[in-house]
Amino acid sequence: MTLLAISEFEQILLYSFIGVSVVFSALIILVIAFKIMGNISKKSFKSKKKQNQESTTEIVDEKEMTGQEIAAISMALHLFLSDMHDEESNVITIKRIERRYSPWSSKIYGLTNLIR
Amino acid sequence: MRNNIKNITILFVLITLFVPFNVFGQGATEQNALFEGLEKFWHSTGFANFQFKYLVMILVGVIFITLAVKKGWEPLLLIPIGFGMIIGNIPLPIGSDEGIGIYEEGSVLNILYSGVIDGWYPPLVFLGIGAMTDFSSLISNPKLMLLGAAAQTGIFITFFGAYALGFTPEQAGAIGIIGGADGPTAIFLTSKLAPELIGTIAVAAYSYMALVPLIQPPVMNLLTTKKEKLIRMKPPRPVSKTEKIVFPIIGMILTTFIAPSALPLLGMLFLGNLLKESTVTERLAETARFALINTITILLGLTVGASTQADRFITLDSLKIFGLGALSFVVATAMGVLFAKLINVFLKEGNKINPLIGSAGVSAVPAAARVSQEQGLKADRTNHLLMHAMAPNVAGVIGSAVAAGILLNMLS
Repeated sequence: MTLLAISEFEQILLYSFIGVSVVFSALIILVIAFKIMGNISKKSFKSKKKQNQESTTEIVDEKEMTGQEIAAISMALHLFLSDMHDEESNVITIKRIERRYSPWSSKIYGLTNLIR
Repeated sequence: MRNNIKNITILFVLITLFVPFNVFGQGATEQNALFEGLEKFWHSTGFANFQFKYLVMILVGVIFITLAVKKGWEPLLLIPIGFGMIIGNIPLPIGSDEGIGIYEEGSVLNILYSGVIDGWYPPLVFLGIGAMTDFSSLISNPKLMLLGAAAQTGIFITFFGAYALGFTPEQAGAIGIIGGADGPTAIFLTSKLAPELIGTIAVAAYSYMALVPLIQPPVMNLLTTKKEKLIRMKPPRPVSKTEKIVFPIIGMILTTFIAPSALPLLGMLFLGNLLKESTVTERLAETARFALINTITILLGLTVGASTQADRFITLDSLKIFGLGALSFVVATAMGVLFAKLINVFLKEGNKINPLIGSAGVSAVPAAARVSQEQGLKADRTNHLLMHAMAPNVAGVIGSAVAAGILLNMLS
Protein backbone atom coordinates (compact mmCIF):
# COMPACT_ATOMS: atom_id res chain seq x y z
CA MET A 1 0.00 0.00 0.00
CA THR A 2 1.68 3.23 -1.08
CA LEU A 3 0.33 6.66 -0.43
CA LEU A 4 1.51 9.03 -3.13
CA ALA A 5 5.12 8.74 -4.19
CA ILE A 6 6.79 8.73 -0.79
CA SER A 7 9.32 6.43 0.80
CA GLU A 8 8.23 3.73 3.25
CA PHE A 9 9.95 5.63 6.06
CA GLU A 10 7.89 8.74 5.37
CA GLN A 11 4.81 6.58 5.03
CA ILE A 12 5.38 5.13 8.52
CA LEU A 13 5.85 8.64 9.88
CA LEU A 14 2.60 9.65 8.21
CA TYR A 15 0.79 6.61 9.62
CA SER A 16 2.01 7.48 13.12
CA PHE A 17 0.77 11.02 12.74
CA ILE A 18 -2.61 9.87 11.35
CA GLY A 19 -2.91 7.28 14.15
CA VAL A 20 -2.36 9.82 16.93
CA SER A 21 -4.75 12.29 15.29
CA VAL A 22 -7.51 9.70 14.87
CA VAL A 23 -7.22 8.46 18.49
CA PHE A 24 -7.43 12.06 19.69
CA SER A 25 -10.33 12.93 17.42
CA ALA A 26 -12.26 9.79 18.45
CA LEU A 27 -11.91 10.64 22.10
CA ILE A 28 -12.52 14.37 21.54
CA ILE A 29 -15.82 13.48 19.85
CA LEU A 30 -16.68 11.31 22.86
CA VAL A 31 -15.75 14.18 25.20
CA ILE A 32 -18.03 16.57 23.30
CA ALA A 33 -20.87 14.05 23.19
CA PHE A 34 -20.69 13.39 26.91
CA LYS A 35 -20.25 17.06 27.79
CA ILE A 36 -23.52 17.70 25.95
CA MET A 37 -25.16 14.70 27.61
CA GLY A 38 -23.85 15.84 31.00
CA ASN A 39 -25.25 19.33 30.50
CA ILE A 40 -28.66 17.92 29.50
CA SER A 41 -28.60 15.64 32.52
CA LYS A 42 -27.62 18.52 34.82
CA LYS A 43 -30.43 20.69 33.43
CA SER A 44 -33.05 17.98 33.82
CA PHE A 45 -31.74 17.30 37.35
CA LYS A 46 -32.03 21.00 38.18
CA SER A 47 -35.52 21.28 36.73
CA LYS A 48 -36.65 18.21 38.68
CA LYS A 49 -35.15 19.70 41.82
CA LYS A 50 -36.94 22.98 41.11
CA GLN A 51 -40.23 21.17 40.57
CA ASN A 52 -39.78 19.31 43.85
CA GLN A 53 -38.99 22.56 45.64
CA GLU A 54 -42.05 24.22 44.13
CA SER A 55 -44.29 21.35 45.15
CA THR A 56 -42.90 21.43 48.73
CA THR A 57 -43.33 25.20 48.83
CA GLU A 58 -46.95 24.72 47.91
CA ILE A 59 -47.44 22.46 50.90
CA VAL A 60 -45.57 24.83 53.20
CA ASP A 61 -47.61 27.73 51.92
CA GLU A 62 -50.79 25.82 52.66
CA LYS A 63 -52.00 27.59 55.78
CA GLU A 64 -55.51 26.42 55.51
CA MET A 65 -54.79 23.14 57.30
CA THR A 66 -56.70 22.52 60.44
CA GLY A 67 -55.03 21.48 63.67
CA GLN A 68 -56.62 18.04 63.40
CA GLU A 69 -55.11 17.46 59.97
CA ILE A 70 -51.66 18.48 61.17
CA ALA A 71 -51.99 16.16 64.19
CA ALA A 72 -53.08 13.28 61.94
CA ILE A 73 -50.14 13.80 59.57
CA SER A 74 -47.71 14.06 62.53
CA MET A 75 -49.11 10.85 64.03
CA ALA A 76 -48.84 9.06 60.66
CA LEU A 77 -45.28 10.25 60.25
CA HIS A 78 -44.40 9.20 63.78
CA LEU A 79 -45.82 5.72 63.26
CA PHE A 80 -44.09 5.36 59.92
CA LEU A 81 -40.69 6.49 61.21
CA SER A 82 -40.88 4.38 64.36
CA ASP A 83 -41.72 1.36 62.19
CA MET A 84 -38.66 2.06 60.12
CA HIS A 85 -36.44 1.73 63.19
CA ASP A 86 -34.15 -1.20 62.97
CA GLU A 87 -35.13 -3.38 65.92
CA GLU A 88 -33.65 -6.80 66.24
CA SER A 89 -35.14 -9.65 68.21
CA ASN A 90 -31.70 -10.36 69.72
CA VAL A 91 -32.38 -14.08 69.42
CA ILE A 92 -29.80 -16.02 67.51
CA THR A 93 -30.88 -19.42 66.31
CA ILE A 94 -29.26 -22.10 64.25
CA LYS A 95 -31.42 -23.12 61.39
CA ARG A 96 -31.27 -26.86 61.08
CA ILE A 97 -31.41 -28.24 57.57
CA GLU A 98 -32.36 -31.85 56.91
CA ARG A 99 -30.02 -33.45 54.44
CA ARG A 100 -30.16 -36.86 52.86
CA TYR A 101 -27.45 -39.20 54.02
CA SER A 102 -24.63 -39.65 51.57
CA PRO A 103 -21.20 -41.23 52.08
CA TRP A 104 -19.75 -38.14 50.36
CA SER A 105 -20.81 -35.95 53.24
CA SER A 106 -20.53 -38.54 55.98
CA LYS A 107 -18.40 -37.53 58.91
CA ILE A 108 -17.56 -41.10 59.81
CA TYR A 109 -15.81 -41.63 56.45
CA GLY A 110 -13.67 -38.60 57.07
CA LEU A 111 -12.28 -39.91 60.34
CA THR A 112 -9.09 -41.91 60.53
CA ASN A 113 -9.84 -45.32 62.00
CA LEU A 114 -6.81 -46.24 64.04
CA ILE A 115 -6.44 -49.93 64.84
CA ARG A 116 -5.56 -50.40 68.47
CA MET B 1 4.70 -59.51 61.25
CA ARG B 2 7.94 -57.58 60.67
CA ASN B 3 9.66 -60.71 59.44
CA ASN B 4 6.91 -61.27 56.89
CA ILE B 5 7.27 -57.76 55.48
CA LYS B 6 11.05 -58.25 55.29
CA ASN B 7 10.64 -61.54 53.38
CA ILE B 8 8.13 -60.06 50.93
CA THR B 9 10.46 -57.10 50.26
CA ILE B 10 13.44 -59.40 49.58
CA LEU B 11 11.30 -61.51 47.23
CA PHE B 12 10.12 -58.41 45.35
CA VAL B 13 13.70 -57.12 44.91
CA LEU B 14 14.84 -60.52 43.62
CA ILE B 15 11.98 -60.67 41.09
CA THR B 16 12.79 -57.15 39.89
CA LEU B 17 16.43 -58.03 39.42
CA PHE B 18 16.01 -61.44 37.83
CA VAL B 19 13.15 -60.92 35.43
CA PRO B 20 15.11 -58.62 33.06
CA PHE B 21 18.12 -60.99 33.14
CA ASN B 22 15.80 -63.83 32.29
CA VAL B 23 14.44 -61.85 29.32
CA PHE B 24 17.96 -60.98 28.12
CA GLY B 25 18.87 -64.63 28.22
CA GLN B 26 16.09 -65.62 25.82
CA GLY B 27 17.97 -64.84 22.61
CA ALA B 28 19.38 -62.02 20.54
CA THR B 29 16.07 -61.02 18.83
CA GLU B 30 14.21 -60.44 22.05
CA GLN B 31 17.23 -58.64 23.46
CA ASN B 32 17.33 -56.28 20.47
CA ALA B 33 13.60 -55.61 20.68
CA LEU B 34 13.91 -54.69 24.31
CA PHE B 35 16.84 -52.39 23.67
CA GLU B 36 15.07 -50.76 20.74
CA GLY B 37 12.03 -50.17 22.90
CA LEU B 38 14.12 -48.71 25.67
CA GLU B 39 16.05 -46.54 23.22
CA LYS B 40 12.84 -45.28 21.65
CA PHE B 41 11.47 -44.46 25.05
CA TRP B 42 14.71 -42.69 26.00
CA HIS B 43 14.57 -40.53 22.88
CA SER B 44 11.02 -39.49 23.67
CA THR B 45 11.94 -38.28 27.18
CA GLY B 46 12.68 -34.71 28.05
CA PHE B 47 16.15 -35.70 29.30
CA ALA B 48 17.28 -36.91 25.85
CA ASN B 49 16.00 -33.75 24.12
CA PHE B 50 17.17 -31.36 26.80
CA GLN B 51 18.86 -28.14 25.76
CA PHE B 52 20.02 -25.36 28.03
CA LYS B 53 17.65 -22.82 26.44
CA TYR B 54 14.62 -24.83 27.63
CA LEU B 55 15.90 -24.61 31.19
CA VAL B 56 16.26 -20.83 30.81
CA MET B 57 12.62 -20.54 29.74
CA ILE B 58 11.45 -22.85 32.55
CA LEU B 59 13.32 -20.60 34.99
CA VAL B 60 11.60 -17.53 33.50
CA GLY B 61 8.27 -19.29 34.09
CA VAL B 62 9.26 -19.99 37.70
CA ILE B 63 10.25 -16.32 38.13
CA PHE B 64 6.79 -15.25 36.84
CA ILE B 65 5.07 -17.54 39.34
CA THR B 66 7.34 -16.32 42.15
CA LEU B 67 6.61 -12.66 41.32
CA ALA B 68 2.89 -13.39 41.32
CA VAL B 69 2.95 -15.26 44.63
CA LYS B 70 5.52 -13.24 46.57
CA LYS B 71 4.89 -9.75 45.21
CA GLY B 72 1.26 -10.12 44.19
CA TRP B 73 1.94 -8.59 40.74
CA GLU B 74 -0.95 -9.46 38.40
CA PRO B 75 -1.24 -13.04 39.76
CA LEU B 76 -4.28 -13.81 37.60
CA LEU B 77 -2.08 -13.41 34.53
CA LEU B 78 1.41 -14.27 35.65
CA ILE B 79 0.54 -17.64 37.19
CA PRO B 80 -1.15 -19.10 34.06
CA ILE B 81 1.53 -17.55 31.81
CA GLY B 82 4.40 -18.73 34.03
CA PHE B 83 2.99 -22.25 34.23
CA GLY B 84 2.30 -22.19 30.49
CA MET B 85 5.97 -21.31 29.92
CA ILE B 86 6.99 -24.40 31.86
CA ILE B 87 4.53 -26.54 29.87
CA GLY B 88 5.72 -25.10 26.57
CA ASN B 89 9.36 -25.74 27.34
CA ILE B 90 9.25 -29.37 28.33
CA PRO B 91 11.64 -30.70 25.67
CA LEU B 92 9.78 -32.73 23.06
CA PRO B 93 11.42 -35.00 20.45
CA ILE B 94 12.45 -32.98 17.39
CA GLY B 95 10.05 -33.51 14.50
CA SER B 96 7.64 -35.56 16.60
CA ASP B 97 4.08 -35.77 15.38
CA GLU B 98 2.58 -37.13 18.56
CA GLY B 99 0.14 -34.23 18.72
CA ILE B 100 1.39 -32.80 22.01
CA GLY B 101 3.15 -29.49 21.31
CA ILE B 102 1.27 -26.23 20.94
CA TYR B 103 2.47 -25.77 17.35
CA GLU B 104 1.42 -29.29 16.26
CA GLU B 105 -1.76 -29.22 14.21
CA GLY B 106 -4.68 -30.81 16.06
CA SER B 107 -3.04 -31.16 19.48
CA VAL B 108 -5.09 -30.18 22.52
CA LEU B 109 -2.84 -27.19 23.22
CA ASN B 110 -3.04 -26.20 19.55
CA ILE B 111 -6.84 -26.24 19.67
CA LEU B 112 -6.82 -24.08 22.80
CA TYR B 113 -4.26 -21.79 21.12
CA SER B 114 -6.70 -21.14 18.25
CA GLY B 115 -8.41 -18.53 20.45
CA VAL B 116 -5.16 -16.57 20.45
CA ILE B 117 -4.16 -17.14 16.82
CA ASP B 118 -7.64 -16.44 15.43
CA GLY B 119 -8.08 -13.58 17.88
CA TRP B 120 -11.36 -14.57 19.54
CA TYR B 121 -10.14 -14.68 23.15
CA PRO B 122 -9.48 -10.90 23.35
CA PRO B 123 -13.06 -9.82 22.47
CA LEU B 124 -14.40 -12.20 25.13
CA VAL B 125 -12.00 -10.73 27.68
CA PHE B 126 -13.26 -7.28 26.65
CA LEU B 127 -16.84 -8.40 27.26
CA GLY B 128 -15.86 -9.27 30.83
CA ILE B 129 -13.94 -6.02 31.28
CA GLY B 130 -17.00 -4.08 30.09
CA ALA B 131 -19.21 -5.91 32.57
CA MET B 132 -16.76 -5.07 35.38
CA THR B 133 -16.05 -1.43 34.58
CA ASP B 134 -17.84 1.52 36.04
CA PHE B 135 -17.55 4.38 33.56
CA SER B 136 -19.28 6.92 35.83
CA SER B 137 -16.04 8.78 36.70
CA LEU B 138 -15.45 9.18 32.97
CA ILE B 139 -19.01 10.31 32.27
CA SER B 140 -18.92 12.85 35.10
CA ASN B 141 -15.67 14.42 33.88
CA PRO B 142 -15.32 13.65 30.15
CA LYS B 143 -12.27 15.90 29.59
CA LEU B 144 -10.19 13.30 31.47
CA MET B 145 -10.71 11.07 28.41
CA LEU B 146 -8.05 13.15 26.65
CA LEU B 147 -5.43 11.80 29.05
CA GLY B 148 -6.31 8.33 27.78
CA ALA B 149 -5.74 9.57 24.24
CA ALA B 150 -2.42 11.25 25.10
CA ALA B 151 -1.01 8.05 26.60
CA GLN B 152 -1.65 6.23 23.32
CA THR B 153 1.01 8.41 21.70
CA GLY B 154 3.45 5.88 23.11
CA ILE B 155 2.03 3.28 20.72
CA PHE B 156 2.78 5.33 17.63
CA ILE B 157 6.23 6.50 18.76
CA THR B 158 7.19 2.85 19.40
CA PHE B 159 5.65 1.87 16.05
CA PHE B 160 8.01 4.32 14.42
CA GLY B 161 10.94 3.18 16.58
CA ALA B 162 10.34 -0.51 15.80
CA TYR B 163 10.30 0.23 12.08
CA ALA B 164 13.56 2.17 12.43
CA LEU B 165 15.09 -0.89 14.14
CA GLY B 166 14.41 -3.05 11.10
CA PHE B 167 11.01 -4.64 11.75
CA THR B 168 8.45 -4.75 8.95
CA PRO B 169 5.62 -2.17 9.19
CA GLU B 170 3.19 -4.93 10.28
CA GLN B 171 5.55 -6.19 12.98
CA ALA B 172 6.28 -2.61 14.06
CA GLY B 173 2.54 -1.96 14.48
CA ALA B 174 2.15 -5.08 16.62
CA ILE B 175 5.17 -4.11 18.75
CA GLY B 176 3.91 -0.53 19.17
CA ILE B 177 0.63 -1.71 20.70
CA ILE B 178 2.57 -3.02 23.74
CA GLY B 179 2.57 0.64 24.85
CA GLY B 180 -1.21 0.48 25.09
CA ALA B 181 -0.63 -1.69 28.20
CA ASP B 182 -3.53 -3.82 27.18
CA GLY B 183 -2.82 -7.54 26.83
CA PRO B 184 -5.98 -8.55 24.93
CA THR B 185 -5.61 -5.66 22.47
CA ALA B 186 -1.95 -6.55 21.90
CA ILE B 187 -2.87 -10.19 21.22
CA PHE B 188 -5.75 -9.21 18.95
CA LEU B 189 -3.66 -6.90 16.79
CA THR B 190 -0.60 -9.19 16.68
CA SER B 191 -2.74 -12.16 15.65
CA LYS B 192 -3.84 -10.14 12.63
CA LEU B 193 -0.61 -8.34 11.73
CA ALA B 194 2.34 -10.47 12.84
CA PRO B 195 1.23 -13.88 14.20
CA GLU B 196 4.86 -15.05 14.30
CA LEU B 197 5.54 -12.58 17.14
CA ILE B 198 2.45 -13.33 19.21
CA GLY B 199 4.18 -15.17 22.06
CA THR B 200 6.87 -12.56 22.53
CA ILE B 201 4.53 -9.58 22.28
CA ALA B 202 1.92 -11.09 24.60
CA VAL B 203 4.53 -11.96 27.23
CA ALA B 204 6.12 -8.51 26.90
CA ALA B 205 2.71 -6.78 27.22
CA TYR B 206 1.62 -8.79 30.24
CA SER B 207 5.04 -8.56 31.91
CA TYR B 208 5.08 -4.80 31.62
CA MET B 209 1.48 -4.62 32.83
CA ALA B 210 2.60 -6.52 35.92
CA LEU B 211 5.56 -4.17 36.28
CA VAL B 212 3.42 -0.98 36.12
CA PRO B 213 4.05 -0.30 39.87
CA LEU B 214 7.78 -0.34 39.15
CA ILE B 215 7.95 1.41 35.77
CA GLN B 216 5.56 4.32 36.27
CA PRO B 217 6.47 6.00 39.62
CA PRO B 218 9.98 7.18 38.61
CA VAL B 219 8.60 8.75 35.41
CA MET B 220 5.73 10.38 37.31
CA ASN B 221 8.04 11.77 39.98
CA LEU B 222 10.47 13.07 37.40
CA LEU B 223 7.80 15.01 35.52
CA THR B 224 5.76 16.51 38.39
CA THR B 225 6.56 19.11 41.00
CA LYS B 226 5.65 18.83 44.68
CA LYS B 227 3.01 21.55 44.18
CA GLU B 228 1.39 19.69 41.28
CA LYS B 229 1.23 16.46 43.28
CA LEU B 230 -0.78 18.26 45.95
CA ILE B 231 -3.53 19.43 43.57
CA ARG B 232 -6.94 18.41 44.89
CA MET B 233 -9.59 17.62 42.34
CA LYS B 234 -13.30 18.29 42.66
CA PRO B 235 -15.33 15.22 43.58
CA PRO B 236 -17.07 13.77 40.50
CA ARG B 237 -20.75 14.70 40.06
CA PRO B 238 -23.35 11.96 40.53
CA VAL B 239 -24.20 10.22 37.25
CA SER B 240 -27.78 9.21 36.46
CA LYS B 241 -28.77 5.70 35.43
CA THR B 242 -29.88 6.97 32.01
CA GLU B 243 -26.43 8.42 31.35
CA LYS B 244 -24.83 5.13 32.32
CA ILE B 245 -27.09 3.23 29.91
CA VAL B 246 -26.66 5.70 27.07
CA PHE B 247 -22.84 5.74 27.41
CA PRO B 248 -22.11 2.26 25.98
CA ILE B 249 -24.53 2.77 23.10
CA ILE B 250 -23.28 6.20 22.03
CA GLY B 251 -19.69 5.32 22.88
CA MET B 252 -19.84 2.23 20.68
CA ILE B 253 -21.45 4.00 17.74
CA LEU B 254 -19.06 6.98 17.78
CA THR B 255 -15.83 5.06 18.25
CA THR B 256 -16.57 2.27 15.78
CA PHE B 257 -17.72 4.71 13.13
CA ILE B 258 -14.23 6.23 13.37
CA ALA B 259 -12.30 2.96 13.68
CA PRO B 260 -14.49 0.08 12.40
CA SER B 261 -11.56 -2.37 12.64
CA ALA B 262 -11.79 -2.08 16.43
CA LEU B 263 -15.39 -3.34 16.32
CA PRO B 264 -14.71 -6.81 17.81
CA LEU B 265 -13.02 -5.23 20.82
CA LEU B 266 -15.11 -2.10 21.33
CA GLY B 267 -18.39 -3.85 20.48
CA MET B 268 -17.80 -6.45 23.17
CA LEU B 269 -16.50 -3.90 25.69
CA PHE B 270 -19.58 -1.72 25.39
CA LEU B 271 -21.95 -4.71 25.25
CA GLY B 272 -20.49 -5.95 28.54
CA ASN B 273 -21.00 -2.51 30.03
CA LEU B 274 -24.57 -2.30 28.79
CA LEU B 275 -25.31 -5.71 30.35
CA LYS B 276 -24.07 -4.29 33.64
CA GLU B 277 -25.66 -0.86 33.53
CA SER B 278 -29.05 -1.88 32.17
CA THR B 279 -29.54 -3.75 35.51
CA VAL B 280 -32.05 -6.09 33.85
CA THR B 281 -29.46 -8.59 32.61
CA GLU B 282 -27.64 -9.14 35.86
CA ARG B 283 -27.25 -12.88 35.18
CA LEU B 284 -25.52 -12.26 31.87
CA ALA B 285 -23.34 -9.50 33.33
CA GLU B 286 -22.35 -11.77 36.18
CA THR B 287 -21.40 -14.58 33.79
CA ALA B 288 -19.35 -12.18 31.67
CA ARG B 289 -17.54 -10.65 34.64
CA PHE B 290 -16.82 -13.88 36.49
CA ALA B 291 -17.20 -17.27 34.78
CA LEU B 292 -16.48 -16.23 31.21
CA ILE B 293 -13.56 -13.89 31.76
CA ASN B 294 -11.98 -16.27 34.28
CA THR B 295 -12.19 -19.20 31.86
CA ILE B 296 -10.74 -17.19 29.01
CA THR B 297 -8.01 -15.73 31.23
CA ILE B 298 -6.87 -19.23 32.22
CA LEU B 299 -6.82 -20.45 28.59
CA LEU B 300 -5.26 -17.25 27.27
CA GLY B 301 -2.54 -17.15 29.91
CA LEU B 302 -1.74 -20.84 29.59
CA THR B 303 -1.53 -20.90 25.81
CA VAL B 304 0.36 -17.62 25.53
CA GLY B 305 2.85 -18.97 28.06
CA ALA B 306 3.10 -22.31 26.25
CA SER B 307 3.70 -20.54 22.94
CA THR B 308 7.04 -19.20 24.21
CA GLN B 309 9.02 -22.28 23.19
CA ALA B 310 12.70 -21.57 23.59
CA ASP B 311 13.44 -22.21 19.88
CA ARG B 312 11.09 -19.41 18.89
CA PHE B 313 11.43 -17.14 21.91
CA ILE B 314 15.15 -16.79 22.62
CA THR B 315 16.11 -14.60 19.69
CA LEU B 316 17.61 -11.16 19.18
CA ASP B 317 14.22 -9.92 17.94
CA SER B 318 12.63 -10.86 21.28
CA LEU B 319 15.25 -8.80 23.06
CA LYS B 320 14.52 -5.83 20.79
CA ILE B 321 10.77 -6.26 21.38
CA PHE B 322 11.25 -6.23 25.15
CA GLY B 323 13.39 -3.11 24.89
CA LEU B 324 10.84 -1.35 22.66
CA GLY B 325 8.00 -2.44 24.97
CA ALA B 326 9.71 -0.84 27.96
CA LEU B 327 10.31 2.34 25.95
CA SER B 328 6.67 2.31 24.87
CA PHE B 329 5.45 2.12 28.48
CA VAL B 330 7.73 4.92 29.62
CA VAL B 331 6.68 7.18 26.72
CA ALA B 332 2.98 6.43 27.30
CA THR B 333 3.28 7.27 31.01
CA ALA B 334 5.24 10.44 30.29
CA MET B 335 2.79 11.62 27.61
CA GLY B 336 -0.18 11.14 29.96
CA VAL B 337 1.46 13.17 32.73
CA LEU B 338 2.69 15.90 30.37
CA PHE B 339 -0.72 16.22 28.70
CA ALA B 340 -2.38 16.67 32.10
CA LYS B 341 0.08 19.50 32.76
CA LEU B 342 -0.76 21.00 29.37
CA ILE B 343 -4.52 20.89 30.07
CA ASN B 344 -3.87 22.63 33.41
CA VAL B 345 -2.51 25.65 31.55
CA PHE B 346 -6.03 26.27 30.18
CA LEU B 347 -7.95 25.46 33.35
CA LYS B 348 -8.94 27.86 36.09
CA GLU B 349 -7.66 27.51 39.66
CA GLY B 350 -9.89 25.04 41.48
CA ASN B 351 -10.61 23.05 38.33
CA LYS B 352 -7.06 21.85 37.75
CA ILE B 353 -6.12 18.22 37.19
CA ASN B 354 -3.57 16.46 39.34
CA PRO B 355 -0.96 15.37 36.74
CA LEU B 356 -0.37 12.14 38.65
CA ILE B 357 -3.59 10.77 37.13
CA GLY B 358 -2.20 11.31 33.62
CA SER B 359 -0.10 8.18 33.91
CA ALA B 360 -3.30 6.15 34.33
CA GLY B 361 -4.03 6.88 30.66
CA VAL B 362 -2.24 3.63 29.82
CA SER B 363 -4.97 1.07 29.94
CA ALA B 364 -3.61 -1.35 32.56
CA VAL B 365 -6.86 -1.38 34.56
CA PRO B 366 -6.84 -0.86 37.52
CA ALA B 367 -3.11 -1.19 38.20
CA ALA B 368 -2.23 2.18 36.64
CA ALA B 369 -5.02 3.97 38.56
CA ARG B 370 -3.79 2.35 41.75
CA VAL B 371 -0.27 3.68 41.09
CA SER B 372 -1.70 7.22 40.74
CA GLN B 373 -3.55 6.78 44.03
CA GLU B 374 -0.42 5.54 45.83
CA GLN B 375 1.75 8.36 44.48
CA GLY B 376 -0.95 10.89 45.41
CA LEU B 377 -1.10 9.53 48.95
CA LYS B 378 2.68 9.72 49.25
CA ALA B 379 2.50 13.46 48.58
CA ASP B 380 -0.61 14.07 50.71
CA ARG B 381 -2.08 11.36 52.91
CA THR B 382 -5.59 12.73 52.53
CA ASN B 383 -5.64 13.25 48.76
CA HIS B 384 -7.36 10.24 47.20
CA LEU B 385 -6.97 10.17 43.43
CA LEU B 386 -8.30 6.70 42.66
CA MET B 387 -11.76 7.73 41.44
CA HIS B 388 -10.30 10.48 39.25
CA ALA B 389 -7.58 8.18 37.89
CA MET B 390 -10.14 5.57 36.87
CA ALA B 391 -11.45 7.98 34.19
CA PRO B 392 -8.24 8.16 32.09
CA ASN B 393 -7.63 4.51 32.90
CA VAL B 394 -10.86 3.29 31.27
CA ALA B 395 -10.46 5.91 28.52
CA GLY B 396 -7.10 4.25 27.88
CA VAL B 397 -8.90 0.95 27.23
CA ILE B 398 -11.07 2.66 24.61
CA GLY B 399 -8.11 4.61 23.22
CA SER B 400 -5.85 1.57 22.83
CA ALA B 401 -8.65 -0.36 21.09
CA VAL B 402 -9.17 2.57 18.70
CA ALA B 403 -5.39 2.73 18.09
CA ALA B 404 -5.35 -1.02 17.38
CA GLY B 405 -8.22 -0.54 14.93
CA ILE B 406 -6.37 2.24 13.12
CA LEU B 407 -3.13 0.23 12.87
CA LEU B 408 -5.07 -2.78 11.63
CA ASN B 409 -6.84 -0.67 9.07
CA MET B 410 -3.67 0.98 7.78
CA LEU B 411 -1.31 -1.99 7.82
CA SER B 412 -3.34 -5.06 6.91
